[in-house]
Amino acid sequence: MKRIIIALLGISLVFTSCKKGKVEISGCTDSSALNFDPLATIDDSSCIYPVNTSLTINFSQTVDGVDLTTDTMIYTNSAGEDYSIQTLKYLISDITLHKDDSTSILLKEVHFVDIRNASTLSVDFGELQDGNYTSISFTMGLDTAKNISNRYVNEDFHATMFWPEPNGGGYHYMKLEGAYTNDSTFYNTHTGGTMGGDYSFNNNSSILLNVNNDMGDVIIDINMEINNWYQTPNEIAFSTYGMGIMMNMQKQMELKQNGMTDIFSVSVNQ
Amino acid sequence: MKKALYFFIVLVLLFSCKKEVVETTIPHQTSPYTISTPLGFPTMQIPDNNPMTVEGVTLGKKLFHDKILSADGTQSCASCHFQAAGFSDTNRFSEGIDGSFGDRNASTIVNAGWNTSNFWDGRATTLEDQAFGPVVNPIEMNNSWQNVENTLNANTTYKDLFKKTFNIDDIDSTHVVMAIAQFERTLISANSKYDKYLRNEIQLSPSELNGLVIFNTEKGDCFHCHSTDMFIDNLFHNNGLDAEPFTDLGLAKVTGIDSDNGKFKTPTLRNIEFSAPYMHDGRFSTLEQVVEHYNSGGKYSTTVDPLMKKLGVGLQLTEQEKQDLIAFLKTLSDTEFLNNPDFTP
Repeated sequence: MKRIIIALLGISLVFTSCKKGKVEISGCTDSSALNFDPLATIDDSSCIYPVNTSLTINFSQTVDGVDLTTDTMIYTNSAGEDYSIQTLKYLISDITLHKDDSTSILLKEVHFVDIRNASTLSVDFGELQDGNYTSISFTMGLDTAKNISNRYVNEDFHATMFWPEPNGGGYHYMKLEGAYTNDSTFYNTHTGGTMGGDYSFNNNSSILLNVNNDMGDVIIDINMEINNWYQTPNEIAFSTYGMGIMMNMQKQMELKQNGMTDIFSVSVNQ
Repeated sequence: MKKALYFFIVLVLLFSCKKEVVETTIPHQTSPYTISTPLGFPTMQIPDNNPMTVEGVTLGKKLFHDKILSADGTQSCASCHFQAAGFSDTNRFSEGIDGSFGDRNASTIVNAGWNTSNFWDGRATTLEDQAFGPVVNPIEMNNSWQNVENTLNANTTYKDLFKKTFNIDDIDSTHVVMAIAQFERTLISANSKYDKYLRNEIQLSPSELNGLVIFNTEKGDCFHCHSTDMFIDNLFHNNGLDAEPFTDLGLAKVTGIDSDNGKFKTPTLRNIEFSAPYMHDGRFSTLEQVVEHYNSGGKYSTTVDPLMKKLGVGLQLTEQEKQDLIAFLKTLSDTEFLNNPDFTP
């Protein structure tokens, strides 16, 4: 009996598989919908989808609270030097969300931001699981465990952020470059693991983010206020850079301290 | 028995809608060619539609060295890309088949498989794209692809080789550039004195070591563009060669963006000792002149790179430091590469 049924089934499949005209059934034909109807052949726009919370993190940059404008000498640092910004590339690592139950989610090990490349300014992390998120933490640059030459040899930033061995190896944390005082004098604020030191720093920002089933998408903005690199607690003048600051531990420490003070601000939009 | 029945049903289903029967042919067989990644190099990105094969590399080498590609049969790729010069031209500008000259120095082909763009102005993304250019450039091979295809299709040796390599009966330009690109991806230089030093096989001299430090610190500040063990950053820079107006707009010729005026692709420094003359227009014939350009700081223009920190002032290296820097640059010479018989016909 079983054999006959199977044979019949086989034969009927043969017939239906080449069929050109058949009865149409309307319903939701999208298998990702909650009310997907596997028998439906015509979509009647009745699909109902689950409301997921997707997380996007934007990386923005401001000078004195205003969105960055490149290539024009419209800014003034704390030391009174006029300056422009032409290049800004930086690495943000260990981007982690923390919940009230003291669990956490590592979103990304290293993210490369280049203001000239829009695709680096926003990262879509997809669906965010339910929970009460209380803070987001990340590291400016790479800590000693990660700041190792050739560790990221296959990443896009490998060559452009490369920091040579005689300076300590690893990668630049940041390249911030432009002109100051006049168009033909340049500063290079390059931070990194000078002489093997660790000048990366952690930022931990409290957030109020309670994710449940029926809320919409969430955007977290991580803003870098560029002028703050140069003012508190250490006033830094470009004219003191000499041939550059990649070997200058004092400058690296001052920039780290300034960075920790108020370089980043985090806001949540939902 | 039940299994046999299921099998029968599946078989019936499989063939029930079929319109034509697949021909049985002996499968086309090639041997894969494996690129081994040198220490400190990224994994080479090879186009999915042009996998490396031993046959493809061999065919590409033959095409690279064959004058059949030029309109009058007088020039091959190798006519302007000499192996002993890191596959560049020792002449400032290359002479085309009609005696006409270009306005840029022929690029080296050294570790070009890692380039994310090609030509001084980056107008070709892949090596395949690049190879389309010189064949039809009026001041280079001055041929037409139609003519190249006709010539190659009339040549039984090439007919066989393309059949064997790509399983095609009619040779077309796409497969010509695919073969050439495969050959070029094998042109890997990673066994210089410097590489041996990195692998702890040899020691550098005090002068070379001092040069290495100058190169890799902001004292010489070479490494920001000539980055990593590849000595390229795959980016474009204006290194202060000229004030405006520029005679050659470089990258801006391709992008049309004013802020790209006068920017050129960073060349590798591997085998730099042998790839003179230097710069996109071959204006410098010696490494001493190149170092002196940076040492005196370069000229201001609106697009000059902020890495050229002290325009008109420069690095201010001592004579000894300049010599040390050049001594280091010469450790990037890879005589095994420059004389590798695998690259010659």
